[in-house]
Amino acid sequence: MRYAIIGSSAAGISAVEAIRSKDKKSDITVISDEKKPLYSRCLISYLLAGTIDKDKIWIRPDDFFKKNKAEAILGVRAEKIDLKNREVYLKNKEKVKFNKLLIATGSSPKIDDVPGNDKKGVFPLRTLAHAVQIQAALDKVKSVAVLGGGLIGLRAAYALRSRGKDVSIFVRSPQILSQIIDEESAGIMQRHIEKKGIKIFTGRYAREIKGKLSVEGLALDNGSDVDCQLVVVGKGVSPNIEIAKEAGLETNWGIVVDSSLRAGSKDVFAAGDVVEGHDIALEENTINAIWPVACEQGRIAGLNMSGEDQVYDGTLAMNSIEFFGLSVISIGITKPKKAIYKEIVKKDLSNNKYKKIVLRDDVIVGAIFVNAIENIGVIGALIKNKVNVKDIKDIALENYFDYGRIIKIIKDSKDGFREKEFRETILTL
Amino acid sequence: MKKIYCDIKKCLGCGSCEIACAVEHSRSKALYMAIKEDKLPIKRRKAQFINKSVAISTGCHHCEDAPCVAACMSAAMYKDKKTGQTMHDVDKCVGCWMCVMSCPFGALTRERQEKVIVKCDLCPDRDMPACVEACHTGALFFGVLKEFKENSCDTR
Repeated sequence: MRYAIIGSSAAGISAVEAIRSKDKKSDITVISDEKKPLYSRCLISYLLAGTIDKDKIWIRPDDFFKKNKAEAILGVRAEKIDLKNREVYLKNKEKVKFNKLLIATGSSPKIDDVPGNDKKGVFPLRTLAHAVQIQAALDKVKSVAVLGGGLIGLRAAYALRSRGKDVSIFVRSPQILSQIIDEESAGIMQRHIEKKGIKIFTGRYAREIKGKLSVEGLALDNGSDVDCQLVVVGKGVSPNIEIAKEAGLETNWGIVVDSSLRAGSKDVFAAGDVVEGHDIALEENTINAIWPVACEQGRIAGLNMSGEDQVYDGTLAMNSIEFFGLSVISIGITKPKKAIYKEIVKKDLSNNKYKKIVLRDDVIVGAIFVNAIENIGVIGALIKNKVNVKDIKDIALENYFDYGRIIKIIKDSKDGFREKEFRETILTL
Repeated sequence: MKKIYCDIKKCLGCGSCEIACAVEHSRSKALYMAIKEDKLPIKRRKAQFINKSVAISTGCHHCEDAPCVAACMSAAMYKDKKTGQTMHDVDKCVGCWMCVMSCPFGALTRERQEKVIVKCDLCPDRDMPACVEACHTGALFFGVLKEFKENSCDTR
């Protein structure tokens, strides 16, 4: 048996470990276009902020591939998949043969088509190389403009503010974090960040990045100009589906997979940011390009590649954000647009506290907790298992709400809460 | 693996497990001194009420497919391959709270000054975890599942 894995971040690494837990002998080849891939993408903004040293970004030891008896082809891009002959063509003209293939090609930063984005001093923030490049460019920089108020944009802004730079964020939407949380919680976070010295301009975007060779400023949509010497573009990511699409696999926004994480072929799997799969809360296909999903999918794809028969229940959007001591966690649907959804909100704005759950027919489908994030995982379990919460919905946002309050629901649930750890807690109830 | 189980029939929700846990994880390991330490020790166990008169003491369940391990973006949370325990390397923790987000039991606690997580470590310096030893009613049990079932589940 020969396994090939394209990609060596969260999904690829998890898959190697899962395969090796079941199959000690077969050949595994991992292909990555990065020379040193075993770092956490989520940590690069921490590195840029100076919160952690470079030696802390590695999530597996240097000898990871050797220890797992995997061949690593690093710094080489996989260019084509030949499904008929079961080969991956590499940029260096070599080929990798496979019996089972995992596509974990991840995603790339969306390119902002603003004129002037080719100037020196314009960066995305996705890879370790980006963080190192930004760091190297910082010396002569006084002011930074961040384009985009999503997670990456805010993380970049936070990092560069921590480095003492004058930072302004330009957000096209009327609110920050518009893909993740609702307007009210975003407002709490925005005011908090602004108090710490980051300027945020919502409903504003750059018409042009100005300068000769290097960035000198922005021309904004309202006609005003802004001085800056560095621009970070944080406009989200798009999945790297090209290689799968050209091979004839089903792609839409991402690579379409079934509940075994197969991509339309018995021996081809996909995992991580590149996957478009069933979303438990939305009940439709979507991409949730987040770290926990990539690890879980990598693990399950790896197990299934090695002959197991594991079912992946689907993804759930979830994000945890903390800036300057204010933490926000969101899960599932947070900005419902249809009338079938009901919301329960509890807030204490003078203490920056805000909690909301979103329900559909007495089933929780989403939650936002601001500055009081304890036990949101319990709500997450209710979302994942789609149970009726009629009996507890009125106390779900209380401070005393915890796992104890859902034990009866677990006991009464027939097909949910399958993990044995849940069952163990109700043995004596 | 050996874990801590709670017999709901016996648990009063008295909180003795919480105090014992906090003291065990203090610098002095003695209650009268622990409460005077600069940084108050943090409990990893919680006595939780199912309703007014029924309670359960919970903490980390050391899940086999631990969601906190999958969610941890800095590889601070990991499974010990030999013991099956869910371990936490405080030096790698960056306080992103992704584990808080993903733990269905609410078993992870934030240490907000240091920006790290604290969790049940099954008291590595002891034969019997402090919470189990402190439980006055015998509700808490340290052992393998089979023993717990024989001890608690068949007697009702």
